Amino acid sequence: MPGHSLRRVLLKRSINVCITIFGIITINFLLIHAMPGDPILNMVPRDPKLDPAVKQDLIDKFDLNASLPERYVAYLYNTFTGNWGTSYMQSHRQVIDIISEDLRWTLLLVGTSTVFTLLLGMAVGAYGAYRRGGAFDMSSTAISLFFYGMPIFWFAILLQMLFNSYPLGMDWWPQLPTGSYFDTKTYGTEFRWEWDIVVSVLQHLILPAATLSIGSLAGVSLVMRSSLLDVMTEDYIMTARAKGLTDLQVLRWHALPNGMTPMIALIALSIAFVISGAYQVEYIFNYPGIGYTTLNAIWDLDFPILQFVVIVGGVAVVIANFVADLLLIYIDPRIKIA
Amino acid sequence: MAWCVTSKRGLAVAPILLIGMFMAIGLFPVTTAQSLPPVAEAGPDQTVCLGDFITLNGTASTDDVAIVNYTWTFSYGGLNRTLTGPVNSTFKSSLLGAFVITLNVTDDEGNYDTDTVTITILERPTNILKEYWWGFVIIGVLASLIAFVYLLINGYITFVSEVTREKSRLLVKRSIGLTRELMKNKMGAAGIIILVFFGLLAILGPTLAPYKIDATQEGPFAMLQKPSSDHWMGTSSTGFDIFSELLYGARISIIVGVFSAIIASILGAVIGLYSGFVGGWKDEVIMRINDVILSIPWLVLMILVAAMLGEITLSAIILIIGLTGWSGTARLVRAQVMSLRERQYIERARAIGSGDWHIISKHILPNSFPLVFANTILTVAVSILAEATLSFLKMRPMGTVTWGTMLSYASEASAFHVGLHWWIVAPGLCIVSLVLGFTLLGHALDEITNPRLRRR
Repeated sequence: MPGHSLRRVLLKRSINVCITIFGIITINFLLIHAMPGDPILNMVPRDPKLDPAVKQDLIDKFDLNASLPERYVAYLYNTFTGNWGTSYMQSHRQVIDIISEDLRWTLLLVGTSTVFTLLLGMAVGAYGAYRRGGAFDMSSTAISLFFYGMPIFWFAILLQMLFNSYPLGMDWWPQLPTGSYFDTKTYGTEFRWEWDIVVSVLQHLILPAATLSIGSLAGVSLVMRSSLLDVMTEDYIMTARAKGLTDLQVLRWHALPNGMTPMIALIALSIAFVISGAYQVEYIFNYPGIGYTTLNAIWDLDFPILQFVVIVGGVAVVIANFVADLLLIYIDPRIKIA
Repeated sequence: MAWCVTSKRGLAVAPILLIGMFMAIGLFPVTTAQSLPPVAEAGPDQTVCLGDFITLNGTASTDDVAIVNYTWTFSYGGLNRTLTGPVNSTFKSSLLGAFVITLNVTDDEGNYDTDTVTITILERPTNILKEYWWGFVIIGVLASLIAFVYLLINGYITFVSEVTREKSRLLVKRSIGLTRELMKNKMGAAGIIILVFFGLLAILGPTLAPYKIDATQEGPFAMLQKPSSDHWMGTSSTGFDIFSELLYGARISIIVGVFSAIIASILGAVIGLYSGFVGGWKDEVIMRINDVILSIPWLVLMILVAAMLGEITLSAIILIIGLTGWSGTARLVRAQVMSLRERQYIERARAIGSGDWHIISKHILPNSFPLVFANTILTVAVSILAEATLSFLKMRPMGTVTWGTMLSYASEASAFHVGLHWWIVAPGLCIVSLVLGFTLLGHALDEITNPRLRRR
């Protein structure tokens, strides 16, 4: 009964996704409430003459005196109703507004670089596997391994400096913007759909996206290469060759489709990796996305932002994995249900 | 003596009076400007080691007048420094060479005396036993292990059975074979060469470094000096020599990477083994927890745990990386154990009545060990990167120098703008090469021990 078992698998996976999301929310709550430090001290100046009423007001507003279980219940309720509260630091702003605005920029950055990474990484890996042991394969593997072990933040600093100066006095060297999301000095901080602003956004995107792409390119190309090499030793490839297909035809019609299965799993897994990379890149390029906001929230002990930023990241990873699982079941009928 | 002349009788008295006067002068001391000078005694010459305390134990003897002050004058390499103070002073020797110290004692009538003492300060002879005791322990353990194995193989130790001897001979043969094969594998050989280089750097780095570094204190040099012949890569914003910091960093970076990878691997292996072997609802629960940990991006999880701990020490960093990094290994080991569990030889072992513990220790552990080992090597690489990233994001281990903290300070001081390019480039390159070494070795091990990969 293939249909029946597929439905059971889907049901089981969906339940697992719900449990995982619930687990993320709970662990997140526990971690954040175990942090030392008093957020009140960060919100108001350390002034002994401060009116106690003001402090009490803040405590009431953010419900800081409630017990832990009470806060947990309130937190669960608020999480699911979308009432995410206001930030401690940017007190007039709703957390949900802050996060949804940041999310736009992070999605732009992560999306652009993921597309580039996948296209380039798969091409490099496939060509390396196709001409295994050749000059291209050797050099691309060596370069990939080098980039694989490179801290992304370090590469970001190097690129930032490289395109913010004229190395060796070359005055034709291109200069690229190395901070912020668009030219906020000229156009103000509000994004509008105007030609100049869109161009400025794209210009400001080049360096962060390039850093992120090159930093995660190595993982993709190495996995692509090894999974293709794996496939190339299978018997059906030999059969295909025996039929008289050319190398390219074998690659296109037999090796690539079968080599794609590990790639899909990798893409889902690498979402978490790309998010970690985006944190570092956003921090160095002052790119106002989720990572930038999270790091600042940690240093400021801004719990409301921190709680939901982590949840958004975790849920994105869970959903990406879920979609990849479904795709794999759809593509590869051999996959057994674990 | 006018009255002597006027009185004839007085002529006879005068000599007596004169004699009396002289006698009086001789008998009764009269304070005059010409009192005796004090005698200064600066003490014996001394020879001490760098860092020892020197006690200047001067004495001064004098007649009844009080001594106004004692002055010690230090001359060292053409410099003179004067110190007015107590006659006994204690100093910490901080410079090498000979000091000529002059004690000057003055009394309240302006008389003075000087005495000179020479103090030679020598380099402290390195107490090899004290500084590298761990090296001797390791060498000792290794030597006794080798001796034991040698005796075992050649049958000098009689209490082991023939089977054990044969087994250990096989083990030695196999590990020699593995090493030979690693060196034949291009990636493995490159990895081993890189790791040997960094291993030597980790052991010898602090000895080779031109300046000593104590990161718990302020640096001794002027901050942010440009590279010069004294400081090859300049000095940092905390006043340390950057090249020395680089050499010191190797040891800590490797320690952090290796220890946190060991913690993560042991945790992951035990959890994966248990989960895969028992199955059922326990496996479900563990895997759901594992899912949660894998879903929160690792960096974010580490930052949250680090923020929770507040003050971060070296061991805290190791624990943070180790305790958050086990889930990948656990999943890998679980999959391996689940596939092993269904093999026929396990079924046979069960059929002849082997217990769980016997099956795990005799069949499952030996078969999953190569996988765990290769994975541990790869985890070391990831852990080194994790430490660098955490340090860079201001979660720095206190009082230590790692390449990550160097990069963090360099970026805060915008090293490129002040002309200290090496400050950013060198630690980054070191991290990349070290990680590369572990990655190469891990992949090569994986290729050799995993028979499925070996085929191609």
